Amino acid sequence: MERGRKIRVLVAKVGLDGHDKGAILVASALRDAGMEVIYTGLRRTVDDVVNAALQEDVDVVGVSILSGAHRKVAEKMLARMKAQGIGDRPLIMGGVIPEEDIPLLKQMGVAGVFTQSASFREIVQFIHDIAGGNRK
Amino acid sequence: MPADKEELKAIREAREKWERGTLRKGMERLGLKEPMVSFFTPADLEGHDFLENVGFPGEFPFTAGRHAIPIHLPFWGRGKTLGGGKTIRHAFGYAGYGTAEDMRDYYIERGKTGVRGGGPNIAFDLPTQTGYDSDDELAEGEVGRVGVAVDTLQDFETIYEPFVGDMELDRIASNWTINATTNIILAMYVALAQKRGIPLDKLRGTPQNDILKEFVARGTHIFPIQHSMRMVRDTFTYCSEHLPNLNTISICGYHMREAGATRVQAVAFAFANAIAYFELALGAGLEIDAFAPKTTFLNFGGGMEVLKEAAVRRAARRVWAKIMRDRFGSRDPRNWIYKELGGGLTGYWPMTIQRPLNNLVRVVIGAVFAAMIGEPPACEPPYDEPLGLGHSIEARQLAADASRIIVEECKLCDVQDVFAGSYYVESLTNRYEKEIVDLIAKIDEMGGAVKAVESGWMKDQIIQSAREYQRRVESGEEVRVGVNKYTEPDEIEIRIPRTSPYKAERREDAEERQIAKLRKIKAERDNEKVRACLERIGNAARDEKANLIPFFVDAVKAYATVGEICRVLRGVFGEVH
Repeated sequence: MERGRKIRVLVAKVGLDGHDKGAILVASALRDAGMEVIYTGLRRTVDDVVNAALQEDVDVVGVSILSGAHRKVAEKMLARMKAQGIGDRPLIMGGVIPEEDIPLLKQMGVAGVFTQSASFREIVQFIHDIAGGNRK
Repeated sequence: MPADKEELKAIREAREKWERGTLRKGMERLGLKEPMVSFFTPADLEGHDFLENVGFPGEFPFTAGRHAIPIHLPFWGRGKTLGGGKTIRHAFGYAGYGTAEDMRDYYIERGKTGVRGGGPNIAFDLPTQTGYDSDDELAEGEVGRVGVAVDTLQDFETIYEPFVGDMELDRIASNWTINATTNIILAMYVALAQKRGIPLDKLRGTPQNDILKEFVARGTHIFPIQHSMRMVRDTFTYCSEHLPNLNTISICGYHMREAGATRVQAVAFAFANAIAYFELALGAGLEIDAFAPKTTFLNFGGGMEVLKEAAVRRAARRVWAKIMRDRFGSRDPRNWIYKELGGGLTGYWPMTIQRPLNNLVRVVIGAVFAAMIGEPPACEPPYDEPLGLGHSIEARQLAADASRIIVEECKLCDVQDVFAGSYYVESLTNRYEKEIVDLIAKIDEMGGAVKAVESGWMKDQIIQSAREYQRRVESGEEVRVGVNKYTEPDEIEIRIPRTSPYKAERREDAEERQIAKLRKIKAERDNEKVRACLERIGNAARDEKANLIPFFVDAVKAYATVGEICRVLRGVFGEVH
């Protein structure tokens, strides 16, 4: 990772959920905050997303999910990222995720979970904090 | 009758005097640079003609109401109201989870409480909506989540088990929130009716089938747009021949509004999409006044600025009446009515996860204004909408009671369209009518909604609006109570118990049970027959003129799966995300 490079974030829709307003708005907020953002578009498999994360050499992977499949998706994403050698990159999730599931996701290894109550400022700050170390 | 010129002149002069005098003094006293409020007079409605612009409820141009008497009123409290009364608690409201067995049991249990609300209003899970079997890799984690899983006709047979006797298929109307796979679900209903010996012309129901808005807002489209539209054409022509009492489509503005469209965009895009569907039906040789009665609209969604929401609906009624009468040459005034299912004016997106009981306040305000323009005062959604899948029975009860209070205690539905003649609302209605008409004209210039969707223009417009709104929320220009203002530590979160109507443990193992069932049926059915049916579907799909629905009916009767049929269609049509 070269110094001074912008933080690179992959924003992904995994599975069959077609709600992309949140993902698109978060992607633009991150861009506005000076990050480089790659948005996958709808209906990607876990493999698609992890491959894209590898190829794009991103610092953070963000998955948006509103369909209730967040636990399964988190489990598969984390396993796949590890298998592909990018288990050290933080996975963050956002969308409609019941409060009671958040500790569970974090225990599994999801770095951050942002629901409807999160502001863009919080999300930007969080990504800066976890990925900003040697990048600006 | 417009106010005469001299009267308007006198009003303008008086206004000028007021602005220089009383208003200015008020501003000075309060130290204001801007007056903060506005006031409307007959001068804002120059040329306004009551008969031309408003008219009587139930008559062209329908500004004051779609019907002389709002149709929900005579049935209020008798178990058949759409927007409240007993329906919310007793009817089979929009629901779906787990497997067909789980839904069957849900209906049986609800039936025990004395429900006679009609047929099921089914939410399907995402694999069913996007044409994948429950054992597909892409379906993992999604089976039975946002709705019920339907792989084969067997699932449909199970769901409809409680619907017999006085709830037999010829006595109920079903609702299916399904789009890309509409015609397969429809084929299952046809197959089910044929197996039960129910004549097809007795079947009633409404599939959503509004594929254009999937591309721009809801995201469960499968096939490229021209093939998607061909499937809609198939619905129109098949239904006109075999299912004359079934609605063919429920055209939606609400999903686009939820995705960020402005109120004018939601109406204009929904109408532009409607025009595209109607042109499709006309192109297939159907007569406007023959197919229009079997088309319907879901709703336009809404927002918290309820006076504006009331005005845009009054404008929409007028715009649609003119489209039907003037553009399509419909001769039956009943077909000029914009038929909207729901009436809640606030929509879903203004609901907040923070201090969720505030959402009840929000929807009640919307319902009050719905009542005042003659729409059902639906306190929709229940306040716990943002908290996860499935509204609690407590939240549903509160919403139902709120509607009852509006109608029966406040008697707000006793007068039709209280805004008729309001200088402000009438002028806003006129403005919105113009904006909607202009936007539809712009889409016409692009070659219609299909082109506007295919090029990505429509979605882009919505995203731009969403970004602009979000920017105003982030900057605090738009206030959301408990979200970006009034969030100090002394503000408290008030919660009440939430009892889910669904059985959580069943949702947990639904995927496993569904896959086991699917494997069993694939092993037991006549696979040679399935293969032959699928091959015929492929051949018919390649013939643009063919109607695919009869082939789907044969295939589902042989227990071909939704995923198998869609795999064949994906092979012929291609796929877009």
